[in-house]
Amino acid sequence: MNGIIELKGVSKTFRDFWLRPTVKAVDGLDLTVNEGEIFGLLGPNGSGKSTTIKMILGLLRPGEGEVRLFGLPPSDPAARKRLGFLPELSYLHPFLTARETLLYHAGLCGLDTKTARSRANELLEMTELVHAADRQVGGFSKGMARRVALASSIIGKPGLLILDEPTSGLDPVSTDEVKTLVKTLAKGGMTILMTSHLLGDAQDVCDRFMILNKGRSVAEGRVDAIGSSLQEYFLSKIGERRDFKVAPFLAQ
Amino acid sequence: MKSFLAIVLLELRRLWRSRSILVLLAACVGWMLAMPHLVKSDGTVEGARQIYVHFSLGGAFALTCIALASSGASVLSREREMRTLSLALTRPVKRFTLVFARIAALVASGAAVLAVCALVLFFNERDAGPCAHVLHPEMESLAEEAKRMYDYYMADPETPPEIKKAKKSVVMRILRQGALDHYQSIGTNDTAVWRFDSSALAPGAPLAVRLRFTNDFDMREDVRGDFSFGPWRGAISNITQAIVRVPLHHEEGGNPAAGAKPKDELVFTNNGATSLMLRPRKDIVLLAGADSFGSNLFRAWLELVSMLASLVAFAVFLGSGLGRSVAVFTCVAFMFVAVVSGDVIEQYPDQFETDRVDRIGLAITRAVEFASRPVNSLRPLSALSSGECVEKEEAALVVAMDAVLIPVVFAFLAAFILSRKED
Ligand SMILES: Nc1ncnc2c1ncn2[C@@H]1O[C@H](COP(=O)(O)OP(=O)(O)OP(=O)(O)O)[C@@H](O)[C@H]1O
Ligand SMILES: [Mg+2]
Repeated sequence: MNGIIELKGVSKTFRDFWLRPTVKAVDGLDLTVNEGEIFGLLGPNGSGKSTTIKMILGLLRPGEGEVRLFGLPPSDPAARKRLGFLPELSYLHPFLTARETLLYHAGLCGLDTKTARSRANELLEMTELVHAADRQVGGFSKGMARRVALASSIIGKPGLLILDEPTSGLDPVSTDEVKTLVKTLAKGGMTILMTSHLLGDAQDVCDRFMILNKGRSVAEGRVDAIGSSLQEYFLSKIGERRDFKVAPFLAQ
Repeated sequence: MKSFLAIVLLELRRLWRSRSILVLLAACVGWMLAMPHLVKSDGTVEGARQIYVHFSLGGAFALTCIALASSGASVLSREREMRTLSLALTRPVKRFTLVFARIAALVASGAAVLAVCALVLFFNERDAGPCAHVLHPEMESLAEEAKRMYDYYMADPETPPEIKKAKKSVVMRILRQGALDHYQSIGTNDTAVWRFDSSALAPGAPLAVRLRFTNDFDMREDVRGDFSFGPWRGAISNITQAIVRVPLHHEEGGNPAAGAKPKDELVFTNNGATSLMLRPRKDIVLLAGADSFGSNLFRAWLELVSMLASLVAFAVFLGSGLGRSVAVFTCVAFMFVAVVSGDVIEQYPDQFETDRVDRIGLAITRAVEFASRPVNSLRPLSALSSGECVEKEEAALVVAMDAVLIPVVFAFLAAFILSRKED
């Protein structure tokens, strides 16, 4: 196996200030993402998707196991050379304009000024932000901010793109556009790892998937091999729906 | 390099758009312009100048330090709170660059503010004469003198036993301090001789002696005496000020420096009616004319910017590990203790301090004083204000140490802490 991302027996336990364990967010996870595929990391809230992604990025250190990114440890800047990341919340500098945000990230990727400028213009056009390009992103709506963050994640034309809930906060039209974008990027040779709660969309986009529950992998495979809808498959793996018990709360 | 510039630009934009750099600039320039109207001097032109030069640029420097140190302490901690740091850490950028670029941006803005202040000062003092090199008399080193005194006291049966029992390092520290203050007395019609190494003096440079006698004020009128330094002559009589500057004149006119041999002796003959007291290590220096006020102001600016760089680097380092408010508080507290530490140490010598809490407090103060020594000297300001040179070698050393070495070390430490911290 030599995937672009490789996790072997990875676990992560969060601890409080006194180093007492609070939660085991990821538990003995093996995961391989191969070149050129779109991989969907799925699972209910709190199942450890974002934690897994942060370990792949080197933002968190696994308690056990080993993470390899392009065959290197994630702490190596060389491993991050061909990496784009969209976090689950768009972390932006509120005092920068949309264009400056893109140029900042282009600079961090080491692009020269000319390339950076032309790519920023293309991406602003692509994300329909041209009219707002020179406004500070602190005043942007959630969806607009999301689009700036998405654009800055791909400004370096990465070989590997990691998207944590790319469509959260986007309207249905933009969601559809992001789906098309992801597919187009993959056709161009980009490897993509994404999480999503919209299983219909994940089914349309992803080649392979893994379902996490409580930090463990409960299912893994090719999307076209499951036969049913991903939604049904997901529910069958995660278990019964648990309705919120609202009646006692209202009765008080 | 591209990523370095991107981060520098980011920080400059932050400073500019949050208006903090503008507020700082306005405050500093306002202070520089208001100072001449606020100064109450001792009535002399020199005194007024001295106070103006020292406190105008000194005040602006203090404001800049406080503003940029607190900015520096919050820059990384804020990025961590906002998680923009995590995003930057997924880019192919070294952590050292992430830290060092921020220090560079803050220092560059501080340097710009101080440059404007220095220009204001230069404009106000544009008719100031050239500065002077300061030569101290060549004497036994402080350590040598302290050692000699130590051996003497230890052998002396009169020495109180508690001093004989005290730690050698403590006694030596007190003796070194004492050596600085050793008085020399010059009786009526006596002569005193101090050796000065004049080999480095530029030919033709004007010479003067600056001295201070520790006699009572009303007895100073009786002070009278002659100086000779090789072929140079000078005289004093009827002192009205605490510190006097005695210009020396060359006997033969002509090429003045030609006659000054290396290791010349400055001879003073007391012709007055009273004997005189002075501390040779503190109270008498030879002044030799050097380059213009402007070039010395430039070197003073370089030194101040370098000290600022060390302080900002320290603040950024604190912010890499601590939360924002804790980092800012620690940094400001450190600055405060550093500023007062000199006086505290001088006023509370620790040898007879028996109270445990006092001893601990003194130990901390000493540690802060020691740690802040490279950046806690207003020497360039006091030099400028009294017309002394900011020496080139000294400025180069301060730049190398404070603007390069210390920031690089702190940036490495901060980068290491960032690599240990998790999201
Ligand atoms: N920094 C942290 N400190 C402590 N616990 C954390 C931290 N980050 C995540 N956790 C815990 O780890 C578990 C997994 O969280 P994670 O964010 O990975 O879930 P997720 O699958 O991304 O969920 P969601 O779909 O809601 O985004 C949760 O129980 C969460 O509370
Ligand atoms: Mg998540």
